[in-house]
Amino acid sequence: MFIFGVCGCCGALRPRYKRLVDNIFPEDPEDGLVKANMEKLTFYALSAPEKLDRIGAYLSERLSRDVARHRYGYVCIAMEALDQLLMACHCQSINLFVESFLKMVRKLLESDKPSLQILGTNSFVKFANIEEDTPSYHRSYDFFVSRFSEMCHSGYEDPDIRTKIRMAGIKGLQGVVRKTVNDELQANIWDPQHMDKIVPSLLFNLQSGERTESRSPSPLQASEKEKESPVELTERCFRELLGRAAYGNIKNAVTPVLMHLDNHSLWEGKTFAVRCFKIIMYSIQSQHSHLVIQQLLGHLDANSKNSATVRAGIVEVLLEAAAIAASGSVGPTVLEVFNTLLRQLRLSVDYELTGSYDGSTNIGTKIIKAHEERQLQEAVIRTIGSFANTLPTYQRSEVMLFIMGKIPVPGIHLTLPSSDSGPEGTRMIQVMLLKSLVQVTAGFQTTNMLTALPSSFLEPLLSFSLTEDPEVRLLVLQILLSLIDRHDNRPKFANMSSISDISVLKLKVDKCSRQDNLFMKKHGQQLYRHIYLGCKEESSGREHYEALFALLGLLSVELANEEVVVDLIRLALALQDLALSTDEALPVYNRCAVHALVAAYLNLICQLTTVPAFCQHIHEVIEVRQKESPYLLPEAVFVDSPKLHSSLDKVEGSVLFLQSKITESLGGSGYNTERLATPYVPQYTEEDRLSKRKSIGETISLQVEVESRNSPEKEERTPAEEITFETLKNAIVDSVGMEEQERERRRQVVEKFQKAPFEEIAAHCGARATQLQSKLNQIFEITIRPPPSPSGTISSGYGQSQSRSVPIYEMKFPDLCVY
Amino acid sequence: MSMEDYDYLFKIVLIGNAGVGKTCLVRRFTQGLFPPGQGATIGVDFMIKTVEIKGEKVKLQIWDTAGQERFRSITQSYYRSANALILTYDITCEDSFRCLPEWLREIEQYANNQVVTILVGNKIDLAEKREVLRQRAEDFAEAQSMLYLETSAKESDNVEKLFLDLACELIREAKQNKLDNSDTAPMPGEGKTISYLSCCNIN
Repeated sequence: MFIFGVCGCCGALRPRYKRLVDNIFPEDPEDGLVKANMEKLTFYALSAPEKLDRIGAYLSERLSRDVARHRYGYVCIAMEALDQLLMACHCQSINLFVESFLKMVRKLLESDKPSLQILGTNSFVKFANIEEDTPSYHRSYDFFVSRFSEMCHSGYEDPDIRTKIRMAGIKGLQGVVRKTVNDELQANIWDPQHMDKIVPSLLFNLQSGERTESRSPSPLQASEKEKESPVELTERCFRELLGRAAYGNIKNAVTPVLMHLDNHSLWEGKTFAVRCFKIIMYSIQSQHSHLVIQQLLGHLDANSKNSATVRAGIVEVLLEAAAIAASGSVGPTVLEVFNTLLRQLRLSVDYELTGSYDGSTNIGTKIIKAHEERQLQEAVIRTIGSFANTLPTYQRSEVMLFIMGKIPVPGIHLTLPSSDSGPEGTRMIQVMLLKSLVQVTAGFQTTNMLTALPSSFLEPLLSFSLTEDPEVRLLVLQILLSLIDRHDNRPKFANMSSISDISVLKLKVDKCSRQDNLFMKKHGQQLYRHIYLGCKEESSGREHYEALFALLGLLSVELANEEVVVDLIRLALALQDLALSTDEALPVYNRCAVHALVAAYLNLICQLTTVPAFCQHIHEVIEVRQKESPYLLPEAVFVDSPKLHSSLDKVEGSVLFLQSKITESLGGSGYNTERLATPYVPQYTEEDRLSKRKSIGETISLQVEVESRNSPEKEERTPAEEITFETLKNAIVDSVGMEEQERERRRQVVEKFQKAPFEEIAAHCGARATQLQSKLNQIFEITIRPPPSPSGTISSGYGQSQSRSVPIYEMKFPDLCVY
Repeated sequence: MSMEDYDYLFKIVLIGNAGVGKTCLVRRFTQGLFPPGQGATIGVDFMIKTVEIKGEKVKLQIWDTAGQERFRSITQSYYRSANALILTYDITCEDSFRCLPEWLREIEQYANNQVVTILVGNKIDLAEKREVLRQRAEDFAEAQSMLYLETSAKESDNVEKLFLDLACELIREAKQNKLDNSDTAPMPGEGKTISYLSCCNIN
C-alpha cells in the first residue's frame, strides 16, 4: 500500500504515472481539466496498459480525498479523467481499472450532494454502454441497484433537483440492466431481490409523472420545458428491461408489477394498470405473452375475495392484455384462461346473491355492492369475448364446448356443487354463460359447420331455446345466428320487411358445400323445430321474432339446397297455420308477428329461388295485405308501437299464402313438390314437456328429479326404457305420414347414431375406434338405455333418460376439452 | 488491490409504522439535526455515515424506509440485504406498538435470518403522552430476543448510542463468523490506510 502526502513536494521521486495524473489537475479547479496533460496521460495509459489499474487507483484515491474535503471542482475533474480513460482504453485492459472506477462512482453516490450523485450516475451510464469482453467475477452491483432505486424515489425539496435525481436514478437502473443482463457471470439482475427494487421504482416514476402530466395545463408548455420527461424516460427504460427478459425471467419482472399495483391500489383506477400491462405486452417477446396472461389469471384468483372493483380492474387489464397477445402464443393455456374467467363469473354471481364473500359465516365482513359485481360480470364476459377473438377457429369451437359444459342444466347441480344460491343463481349463471357464448361466437366463421357445431354443442344449446325464459331464448338465437352467419349477412336481416326487391340487401350467397348439406341433413329438423316452437312462445317479443327471421334468412342463404328450401317453405306455411289456429290461444300480437314473419320470410325465399310464379304469388298476397290488413306485415308489426287489429277472425282468403299455389309454382321448376304437399308437423316429444318442466320458471330441483326416479312412476316407464331399434322404427311409422316415412327413418337412424355420446367423444378425441367396434358399442348402449340426446326427435321413454343423460354430458366436456 | 476507506461496511434498514420518527432518527444521527415538519418518506431514503469504534472504521449504510403501506413492496426488497434492522415504534402511539408482531412477520419473511434486530421506542421527549410502558416493550423485546432502546430524535437522547451499539454488535457478529461474512468484512490488513481520512468525516 502506498501512503502519500497531499502536497506532492517531492514530485521528482514519484512514479511517472502519478506525475502524469497530478498534472491534469489545474491550480484552480475553475479552469477545468488540463487538456494537454490529459492527452499525455491517455497516451501513456494506452502505451502502458499494465499501468492503467494503478492510474485508476491513484485517481480514485485523489477523488476520495477531494470528496471528503468538499473540493467538488477537483472531484468533477477526476471523474472526467476517469471517464476519458475508460473510453480511450481497450476492453481487455480495463478490467482492474473498472474496479477503481466503480469505487469512485460508489463514492459519489454515497454523497448527499445531488450534484455528485448525478455526476456519479452519468459516469456510470457511460461505463454501462461500454461492452467488456473479459468477465469480471467479483463485481457486485447490489449497491448500485439499491441506490439508484432509492434515487428514483427521491424526496428532495426542490422539485427541479428532485426530478433530476429521479431521472438519474432511472438512467442508472437502465445502466445496471444493460451492464448485467447479458453477462452470465454477473449477479442475476432478474433475481427477485433486484427486480423487486427496479420494477417498483420505474412504476413509481411512471405513475407520478402521470399525475403531474395531467396537472400541467398545456401540452405545449410541457414539451418546451424539457426534452424528455421522466415519464418518457421511465417508459423507455421499462420497455428495454422487459424486452430483454427471457422466458424464465418474465415472472420475476411481472410479480413486482402486480405487487406495486396492489399496494398503490391502482387496479380500481384501471387506466394506469392497463397502461402498465400494455407496455409489458408490447415490450416482451411475443412468445412469452401467455406467461403474463397466466400471472394475471393467478393474480385474479388470488384476489377472489377482494372487492369487486379490484377484480374488475384485473379483468379489464386481462382484456387489454389478451387483445395484444398474439393469437398463437396464448395457445397452451387457453382453457385455463376460460376456466379461471368462468370461475370468477360464478364467484361473482354467488357473491351478488349471498351478499358476502364467505358464503355464510362472516356476515358483514365486507359489504358487497351488487352493481359493482354486475360491472365485474360484464367485464368478465367482455374479456371472454376478447380472448376468444384472438383464437383460431378450432380452438374457438373447443372453448364453445367448454363453456357449454359449464352451463348448469336447471335441476341438476353438477356444475355448481358449492352454489347455495338456488334457482335464481342457476338462472343468472345460465344467462352469464350464454352471454359469454354470444361473445365467443361473435364473428366466428367456419368453413365446416359439422366440426364447428358438433351435436355435443348444438343439442344442449337448442335445449336451452325451449325454456320459458325469454332472455335465455334470445341469447340462444343470437348464438345460433353468429354461428350460422359466415358471410356477414346477419346485419342485412336486421330489418324485417317485405320489400319487393331483395337485391338492395346485397346478400352474399355462396354455393353450399357438401359439409353444409350434411349438417342440414343432420340438424335441419332440429333447427326447424326450434324455430317453430320459438314462434309459439307467448313470451316471445319483437326481438325474438326479428332474431327468428334472421335465423330463417341465414339458413336460406348459408345452408340451403333444394331440399332445405322446400323444408323451410313448409315450415313457413306451418307457421302461418299456427298463427291462424285458434287452439293455441296465442295473443294477438304474437299471431300478427308470426304472420308478418311468414310474409317477410316468404318474400325473401321466393326471390332467392327466383321462380317467377312463386314470386308472383307472394307479391300478390303482400299487396293485398298492404291494402286490407297491414297489421299482417312486418312494417306494421315490428315497429315501436304496432297498430294491431283487435281480432284476427277475418284473416282468410287472399291475404294468406296458399300451399297449393306455391306447390304448383315450384313444381314447374323441378322442386320436390310431393314433400311440399305434406304439411310440416313438428315432432312433439317428451323432451318438450320435460324441458318446459325444467325451465327456470318452475323450480323443479334435483330432489324432485331423484324422487321421480324412485317413484311408482318408474314402473310405468320401465318397459319403455328398454327401447330397441324395432320400437323406435315402429314409433316413427306410427307418428309420421307414410310419404315421409322412409326418408325420415333413414335420417333419424343416421342422426341417432351420430348423436350418441360415445361416438362424439371418439370422434372428437381423434381416438377413432374401428367402425365395427363403435357400432357394437352403440348397439350395447342402445339396448341398455335409450340414446341420451336431449333433443332427439323420438323415443317415448325419454323422460327417464333425460335426467340421467345430462350428467353424462357434464362429465364429458372436461375430458373433451383437455387437449 | 482494495483501497477501501473503512474496515467494516454494514447495511442498516429502519422499519416501522408511518410517522414514528424513523427519518428523524437517521437525520439526527447522520446530520445532527432534527427537521421539524419532516414529510413522509417516499419509498426509501439513503444516508451514509462512517464511525470509528475501537480504532476500526465502520461505514454504516442507512436505508430509511417509508412506513406507508403503499410502498411496502419497494421497502421489503431492502430487508434482504440488511445486516441490521431498526424496528421503530412511537411510545405515544399504542397502534404503532400493536403493529410490531406484523412487522416481525415481515422480517421473518423477507429478511436474512442472521439479521440483527433492535427494537426502538422513539419520542421519549413526549413522556407525558406515553401510551406504551417501558416494561411492556422490554418484555416484548425479550420475548422476541431483540435488543431494546428508547430514544428521542428531538432531544438526541440515545440516538448516537443506538447506532454505535448496533455497530458494536455487528462487529462482534462479523468477527464471529468472518468466514461466512467475508463480503461485509474486508480482509484484515486491507483498508488500514489513508490516514488523512481520520475521524468521522463528511456529513
